Amino acid sequence: MRPATCALLILALLTGSGAQADPVVVVPARLGVEKLSHEEVTNIFMGRFRALPSGAPALPIDQPPGSPLRTLFYQRLVNKDQASINAYWSRLHFSGKATPPLQASSETQVIQQLLTRPGAIAYLERSQVDARLRIVFEFPP
Amino acid sequence: MRHLFIRDGILLRSILVTILAFVLVGIATVAYTMQIAREQAEQQSRVRLEQLLDTVQSTLRVACFVKDRELAREVASGLLSNTEVLRVTIHENGQILADVQRGNASPISGNEPRGSLMRTIHSPFIESDVIGRIHLTPDPAVIEGRIRDDIIDRTLQLAWQLALIAGAMVVTLLAFIIHPISAMSRNLHRMDPTAGDRLPVPPGHGNTEIGRLAGDVNALATRLVQALEEEHALRLRGELDEQKYHAIFNNAESGIFIVERGGRIASWNPALARLLGIAGAEEFAGELQLTALSWEKPEAVGELIAGVFATKMPATLDALLLRPAHAHRWLNLVLSPVGNDILQGVAHDVSALKEAEAAARRQAMTDPLTGLANRASLEQQLQSRIRQHHQHPGSGFTLLHVDLDKFRLITEGVGVPAGDEILRAIAGRLSATVKSNDTLARLSADIFAVMLQNLNDDETIDKVIERLTGSLRQPYLIDGSPIQLTASIGITLFPSDGSDAPSLLRHAELACDKAKASGGNQSAFFDPTLAEAAEQRRHMENDLRQAVREQQFVLYYQPIAELANHRVAGAEALIRWRHPERGLIPPDHFIPIVEQSGLINEIGLWVLETACAQLAAWQAAGSTHYLSINVSGRQIPHGLPPAAIADALARHGVEPGRLAVEITEGILLNNISEAQSWLHAVQQLGIPVYLDDFGTGYSSLSYLKRFPLDTLKIDRAFVQDMQPGNSEHSLVEAIIAMARSLGLKVVAEGVENAAQMKMLGAMGCHYGQGYFLSRPMPADEFAESAKDIDRRLAMPDDGR
Repeated sequence: MRPATCALLILALLTGSGAQADPVVVVPARLGVEKLSHEEVTNIFMGRFRALPSGAPALPIDQPPGSPLRTLFYQRLVNKDQASINAYWSRLHFSGKATPPLQASSETQVIQQLLTRPGAIAYLERSQVDARLRIVFEFPP
Repeated sequence: MRHLFIRDGILLRSILVTILAFVLVGIATVAYTMQIAREQAEQQSRVRLEQLLDTVQSTLRVACFVKDRELAREVASGLLSNTEVLRVTIHENGQILADVQRGNASPISGNEPRGSLMRTIHSPFIESDVIGRIHLTPDPAVIEGRIRDDIIDRTLQLAWQLALIAGAMVVTLLAFIIHPISAMSRNLHRMDPTAGDRLPVPPGHGNTEIGRLAGDVNALATRLVQALEEEHALRLRGELDEQKYHAIFNNAESGIFIVERGGRIASWNPALARLLGIAGAEEFAGELQLTALSWEKPEAVGELIAGVFATKMPATLDALLLRPAHAHRWLNLVLSPVGNDILQGVAHDVSALKEAEAAARRQAMTDPLTGLANRASLEQQLQSRIRQHHQHPGSGFTLLHVDLDKFRLITEGVGVPAGDEILRAIAGRLSATVKSNDTLARLSADIFAVMLQNLNDDETIDKVIERLTGSLRQPYLIDGSPIQLTASIGITLFPSDGSDAPSLLRHAELACDKAKASGGNQSAFFDPTLAEAAEQRRHMENDLRQAVREQQFVLYYQPIAELANHRVAGAEALIRWRHPERGLIPPDHFIPIVEQSGLINEIGLWVLETACAQLAAWQAAGSTHYLSINVSGRQIPHGLPPAAIADALARHGVEPGRLAVEITEGILLNNISEAQSWLHAVQQLGIPVYLDDFGTGYSSLSYLKRFPLDTLKIDRAFVQDMQPGNSEHSLVEAIIAMARSLGLKVVAEGVENAAQMKMLGAMGCHYGQGYFLSRPMPADEFAESAKDIDRRLAMPDDGR
């Protein structure tokens, strides 16, 4: 797994150096959700609620581990690094009540899952957003 | 040690007080400690629980954030594992995530227990977001246990500290106070201050309060001993004094007693008992009232007591005590206040004194010889009679002054005892003549007074006088021979002749003098002119006294010539009064008064002195004139003692033979023996004695033999009327012849012309004196005049 990690880090550095814009939170356009607040996004991604304001279940999807976007997202969302996020989840691991977001294996899988799984919600680079997707939350500049 | 714990002793009290104080302090401290311990325990418990919560805080946040009951329960159980925690409740927005409690405790419901802790739980991501809270209830039993342990600890600690302090205090008290005090107390019990014992200062207490107390006790003991000794000495002295006074009280001759305000006699001495004739103070039964005694005037005694109480000044009273079976007794009572309600009294028996006084009074009122009233008594009776007259005017009275004529000659003849007998007889005759209510008095030797009551018409008086003189004229038989006696009587009437006793007596005497002057054996009524004359005499007497004081007298000198050799031999000194208003007054105007008033002695001495001075002056001038001075009978023998004459002569250095004294027959009549010895003494001095006015009086030839005379002076009456062949001529001739035969010199007085001079010379008269030679002249003219006379006499057959 070590060569893969190195490769990801390099990629991240490459992409990062290429385009370091904030991620945006998106849902499938057909879902009918217009906007989410920062709090709502936090609740959903940090396991407090697994539902949209409309009441429909929400399924958060994480970028693959080591993704610079993922790091950036949590940094911007709850101001914690990835280790803290991991520790958080590991503390909840045994009670089984709350589970971490679904983990995609790649960026593409993220979009795939987003489009396929009901109630999916994920964060992307703004450049990855297309018509099938709708931005419901943007980090303020 | 038992004596240290005296009931109510210091130690017991101190211990009790200490214990009480410690108990109070302990209770307060424990109460405070409990409060503090509880607060501390709760505080500590809270801190521990807070710390406990801090350790689980992040887990709690997460559990709450994701509403994880499992996790929350886990956390709560973990907290419960702490023994202090009784219950843990975790809420998430109104929903209980976990609620666990210690199994054996009953579920807590209702109020939050004391000390429970609540903490809010924030979102792990948004600090400001409160997402839940946790309640932590501590186990009170555990805290209580802690508190209990704490209190027990502190109480134990406090208890042993207090016990230690109390022990220390007890020891201190014992060592420093109780022990020394009880030692002092023991010493005090044994101590005998009078024997000089003193309290030793407990060791180590030299400068402490105990030491000072011992010092004070010793000082007090010293003072007490001193006071005791003084008191003892005082008591001894007091006892001695009391014994002394008791002895005085008991043995006094005077009655001594104490009177109370009511007049009760509280105590008295034996002398008073004797004086009052009562029992002694010890035996007397009942009350003795001073005023209740048998006084003649009990009210006077009562007033005396009241007076002394009122004035607080001593007072005295002579009171007569009536004694039924005995002679009455006069007591002199002296009361003096000695306090507010007590008087001290002294009583003397003054009966003898009173008796003597009464006798003296009786004596003073009566004449011892005749038993008649005396002058004082008469005056008193006159006064009371006059007073009576003023109160009840009625008829007046008559006062007679009866003076026996020449009684003195009679007593000289028959002797004093016979004279007294005559006086007694006269008193008897007078008494027989007057009425019983008339008063008889003997005023002096031979003078009697009679007060005739209710009698003032001249006719009746004349009858009474007639009776009186008739009675007195009867002969008195003395040793068998009859003696004839007459009286002169002066009569005054009251109220016309005088308004008071002295003036009545004086006027009666004046009237009597007038009767006597008219020859005696008669009576005279008082005449106001008599009083006037007497007044004039009195006036004159005053003037004379002043004259003596102011030396208004002067001597004039009348020359006396020796007929044989026709020369002035000497002079007679004649006194003149140079009155400041009336001029020169001759001696016959004032000498009688001078003789009566006694001024004669002073004047006589002045004459002697002046004459001697004059003789000395003549002697100094080479003159050999002699000088004769007149001596009155009144001056012999004491008014002009021979020694005084000798002294005057010696002082002025005058030879005795140059001074001569001239006397009259009267001198020889009055007191023969005295006159004789005086004359002898004078002659012994070498002073010639002249007999003046020879031929006018008795001219008894026996005098010439009996008295030591040198010279006779023939009275002027004979010389003036001398004519050749007449009787005066013969008489003068005879006198001269007789004198010559007796070896006496002769001076003829009153020679007024040359013829007389010649006749006298022919008769063999030695000296001549008279206006033919010169009138009396002042001293400064004398020398010139004497020369003139000598010249005149030297011419044979002077034409005059």
